Amino acid sequence: MPDPVIASVGASPLGRTDLPGRDLFSVALAEAFDDLPDPADIVEAVYVGNQSETYEHQIMQGTLLAEWAGLRHVPAERVEGCAAAGALALRHAVKDVRNGEHEAVLACGVEKMTAGGTSGATDALSAAFDRAIEQRSGVTAPSQYALLGQRYLHETDATERDLAEIAVKNHANAARNPRAQFPKEIDVATVLESDPVAPPLKLYDCAPVGDGAAAVLVTTAELAADLNRPQVRVAGSGASANNIAVAERDMTDIAGARVAAETAYEEAGIDATAVDIAEVHDAFTVCEALLAEAAGFAPAGSGYQSYLPPAERADGWTDVQLSPSGGLKARGHPIGATGLLQALEAYEQLTGAAGDRAVEGAETALLLNEGGVGDAVTVSHVLTTAEAP
Amino acid sequence: MSDDALDATNPRTLPGFFDALADGELLGGVCTDCGQVLLPPRPACYACGSRGVDVEPQFPEGEVFSYTAVHTPPPAFAADAPYTVAVVELTDGGRLLGRVAADYDDVAIGDPVELTVREPTATEREVALDYETDWPVHVFELR
Ligand SMILES: [Zn+2]
Repeated sequence: MPDPVIASVGASPLGRTDLPGRDLFSVALAEAFDDLPDPADIVEAVYVGNQSETYEHQIMQGTLLAEWAGLRHVPAERVEGCAAAGALALRHAVKDVRNGEHEAVLACGVEKMTAGGTSGATDALSAAFDRAIEQRSGVTAPSQYALLGQRYLHETDATERDLAEIAVKNHANAARNPRAQFPKEIDVATVLESDPVAPPLKLYDCAPVGDGAAAVLVTTAELAADLNRPQVRVAGSGASANNIAVAERDMTDIAGARVAAETAYEEAGIDATAVDIAEVHDAFTVCEALLAEAAGFAPAGSGYQSYLPPAERADGWTDVQLSPSGGLKARGHPIGATGLLQALEAYEQLTGAAGDRAVEGAETALLLNEGGVGDAVTVSHVLTTAEAP
Repeated sequence: MSDDALDATNPRTLPGFFDALADGELLGGVCTDCGQVLLPPRPACYACGSRGVDVEPQFPEGEVFSYTAVHTPPPAFAADAPYTVAVVELTDGGRLLGRVAADYDDVAIGDPVELTVREPTATEREVALDYETDWPVHVFELR
């Protein structure tokens, strides 16, 4: 089977932008193809991660973005899985290359979240919850994650201050990331004193609403070499759905994420200790704690120590560095593009293009992208430097 | 697999479930193979994959498993905010999310609660889909 690799990446500015979704995509695509022939000369299929048609009243994103890329008569489709849509698009591209169907597939993602204001985004995101019980009870994305967070604080030694420290760490990382929506450091007091959104979560525990697009070109290793591109190997891919309703899941053992990560590890022939960097789905600070445990980086109940240097974490923790990009929290979280922004960060880290935020010696990355609340669906990828085993 | 037709009177469908709830009866699916309680009832058990699902009344009491308050509500519920929501573990083992008729500060994990059922408000009816218009709303009250 061909070995799928990421051969190029690109992204639009993130945050509140004056461009519609398709134009954000064009910006991301232009960066990804800066050193490449035109998309029409290479790309054989397109997958678009996109959360919701309510922002721009637009479905048919596969058709639209393929056309805007100058592609005609290629298979092109939107992939939906709320915030996991981007990694689902990546996974489809990886599978197409792996099974020999295509040599080059464009995985992209786009979201124009600011088009309907904060209430529009709140409403659009709530569509990810079970309609019959959850939506009709008036829960929101922050309050759903707050239910996980409240339970996590109840069951573990973690405090609200620990969660705040995760936000502080991710802002510090974002301060060195020129792509970040919030490239600035903050302190713990800023987080702890920010407005309550859904206790125990406060404003600064939450990833921001923002626009953005990302493009990732997945090819065979041979084609990437022919194109003279730095390449990163997609060594493993896993995905797992879990119950849609939060109430019916284990709220502190994020089992779907564990299954997705373990599947990706198994394909890659590694375990969690081999991972140097991880981009996990820190839509809310508590997610980073929960996902550190689900990914096998931390013993149960100690994932909240992700902000500490490896030497200061509890026994059983690996040396992984989490969210070097600044994570969803500070890099930004344009829903359908997020999974691809995670891949972009890993690509830059593993090809020596991460500048000031480069994690020394990083050769293996884990990506965990969630959709719905928690692990309603989780997609995981293991990326490695092309030379790594 | 059950031989019952999955029509709108069957509590394994949402209309059937909410019809019973409107009469004050909370029906749960109970897996005949592993005992998992499914709220609302559905044709298959997520825990073991079995399609043997009995429908049984659930005792309308339980304990708060987790809770929060919604300060940034969806537009339809803006007038209610902040309001308390919880995941409740019911006495019969199922877990159900719902509003709690109490201030956030008056709620704690482990608090005993009782499930009550009311008709939808005018505002709730306005944002309901056609088929949801008459579906009741459940609310937990502290015991
Ligand atoms: Zn079962």
